[in-house]
Amino acid sequence: MGLVSSGKTPKPLQHLLNYSRKYSLWMLQWGLACCAIEMGAALAGPRYDVMRLGVIPFPASPRQADLIVISGTVTDKMAPAIKRLYEQMPDPKYVISMGSCANCGGPYWDSYSVTKGVDQIIPVDVYVPGCPPRPEAFIQGIVLLQQRIMSEDPAERWRGATREPIVVG
Amino acid sequence: MTTTDLPPPGELPEIAVDPAAFRHLADAQVNVELDTGDMVLNIGPQHPATHGTLRLVVRLDGERVVSADPIIGYMHRGYEKLTEFRTYPQITTLINRIDWLSSFANEVPFIDAAEHLMAIEAPPRAQYLRTILTELSRIATFVLFLGEMGLQVGAITPAFYGFRDREYVLNLIEAVTGGRFHPNFNRIGGIKDDLPWGWISECRGVMNKVLASCDEFDDLVVGNPIFQKRTRSIGIIPQELGAAYGVSGSNLRASGVDWDLRRDGPKYLVYDELDWQVWTHPDGDSFARYWVRLQETRESARMVLQMLDQMPSGPLMAKVPRIIKVPAGEVFVNTENPLGEMGYYVISKGATGPFRTKIRSASFSNVSILPWLLRGVYVPDIVTILASLYFILGDIDR
Amino acid sequence: MADEAATEAVPALREQAVDALARLQSELGDAIVEHGAAFGDVVVRVRRDAWRRSAQVCKEQLGCDYLSFIGGIDWMPTPAVAEEGSGDTSTPAQPKEQTYGTAGSDGRYQLLALVESTRRKSWRVILKTDLPDGDLHAESWVSVYPGADWHEREAWEMYGFVFDGHPSLRHLYLPSEFEGHPLRKDYPLLAREVKPWPGLVDVEPMPGAATDGDGDAEGAGETE
Repeated sequence: MGLVSSGKTPKPLQHLLNYSRKYSLWMLQWGLACCAIEMGAALAGPRYDVMRLGVIPFPASPRQADLIVISGTVTDKMAPAIKRLYEQMPDPKYVISMGSCANCGGPYWDSYSVTKGVDQIIPVDVYVPGCPPRPEAFIQGIVLLQQRIMSEDPAERWRGATREPIVVG
Repeated sequence: MTTTDLPPPGELPEIAVDPAAFRHLADAQVNVELDTGDMVLNIGPQHPATHGTLRLVVRLDGERVVSADPIIGYMHRGYEKLTEFRTYPQITTLINRIDWLSSFANEVPFIDAAEHLMAIEAPPRAQYLRTILTELSRIATFVLFLGEMGLQVGAITPAFYGFRDREYVLNLIEAVTGGRFHPNFNRIGGIKDDLPWGWISECRGVMNKVLASCDEFDDLVVGNPIFQKRTRSIGIIPQELGAAYGVSGSNLRASGVDWDLRRDGPKYLVYDELDWQVWTHPDGDSFARYWVRLQETRESARMVLQMLDQMPSGPLMAKVPRIIKVPAGEVFVNTENPLGEMGYYVISKGATGPFRTKIRSASFSNVSILPWLLRGVYVPDIVTILASLYFILGDIDR
Repeated sequence: MADEAATEAVPALREQAVDALARLQSELGDAIVEHGAAFGDVVVRVRRDAWRRSAQVCKEQLGCDYLSFIGGIDWMPTPAVAEEGSGDTSTPAQPKEQTYGTAGSDGRYQLLALVESTRRKSWRVILKTDLPDGDLHAESWVSVYPGADWHEREAWEMYGFVFDGHPSLRHLYLPSEFEGHPLRKDYPLLAREVKPWPGLVDVEPMPGAATDGDGDAEGAGETE
């Protein structure tokens, strides 16, 4: 992996690495509110079945996860826990913010206890708008994220480079 | 007092005691020697078994719970304050999201309260549509429970069945309202739209599917010996205590209390025109709660079938002023939601929005019994008890 | 409709509510300050020192075995959030003077509770009591209805009411370092103070409003 972190990965190897990473996204579910049910429908529902895309929603621990999905309202009481679990995830890591609440506060934009957007705490890669987004929208977010993973230089992440977030829709 | 030395409410099933179980007496000695007392186990706020963001701080003695302290508020969104800053139609959007599994049922008591204050009555067809959609959201909520509960005792298949049936019902709701989850379909004075073409026959088909899959759940989960061993005489809620804690809905009916606001409360919707029955179970344990919800799912499907047959025609909206100003007054409306009693105490001062809304949500009271209920149970039973109480975090924290 | 002599001032009490009120009056006597009706339900305002006793009477004599909720009311008029004519129609304009609801009130803060019976149809009582401004104390109901525990913690957190005899009044919903009582009317929603309502039309001027010709040209280009 020294090769990767040095940023001098040969193109074919980089392609292979990205290809493997793309289809083995271990996902830490952070089901918070309504969106969690739609996320659950996408994961466990026979109709959507997100596992066919190589997303594995099983790790109950952040230490094995590549992807965290924040689905639902983030409250000020919850925010520290989210930050801590995000920090425990190994790099490269990706964040999908699902639903209006996680994106910006949504219908609770003026509430005294709601964090107005999870991007105030952790950097977000994909925003999925909707209240709640349909499972299809969530799957679209995953597909767009996979496309980005395919095209990125793995070393970029370790160098701390940030990219414009993707917005589904 | 632990749950095990309670006087049995009603008829408890006879449980054969395995002599091997008495080995725990020897274990008790080991416990003293190893000093297993007072281990603090923190479950949550993010844990698969807590259905969201409930946090439980449990003090353990070995495998037994000494005391449990649920810490809530990770999903507190300040509804009661926000309603003071919204107009009535805006609040309907907001309160959809309190109990997000049965959003439509949340709207009904609030709209009802506003209609009481404005002295408006929705036309009969609108009442029927409301009742149908409420019962559909009840089914959508309960089939998920029937599946999830299997998952909590280690059976994965029922969860897929639950999600499958839920999709059928959500399709129906979506076809009428345009939203899978949060229909926001009620209007003060009626309902937004009529049924789409062909919906009634579609709905009949789905209700028959639901009835068939209830039989599947009956065979797969209720008849399963492992499930019975994990849930029978575990987490018993006595009648009086349950009521004094404010436990409501199926949880209280599973303790043998024959009380259903659809029948026993002040009249709302069209339940008095239907032929249906209230299901109770004398045991009050986790199994009883599952059983009662299974029967209620069937009953709801039958009610929907009945309503499809006898639905009146007519207008969908009563005469309502263009700008909705609700006359001053106070009203409390409570309804039997899938999770229990949901009520709104609305205080109006004649403005376009309420002055104060006290929201009585079912799960809040249902979960408040946990410190008492979890005392003395074993750690694996925490999961089944939590699952069988069936709460939604948004409904606890509001 | 109510036609009993005892309740002639009270319109539209449900049959059961008339009965409940009569029995409460005979049990509590002069502890009842005032009573009223809320669309069929009886609202009884009791003296503060009879708060727990009225719960006991409801539970033991009236058979209201079920606690629905305990909450609070702050009757202070809502402070205006938006200036008049600013276009912010999101906040309902509430009356500016302090008025009270059913069964009246002596001051700003009131405690509100509802108990029901699981054995009789539509049998429920709404109880209220006034808490004087500087002394927001009330008796706890935990010994009567154990479920009052969380409701009272909520009221303590949201309004600052103190319940004497409650086992542990601590934060329920909010983080323990949270300051203030959010449901009091004078607690501001900061998000509303610091930024305009997002639903407001024309929060900021249209792009290129100052240079008319350019703005139009740009707008036309974007739509293509």
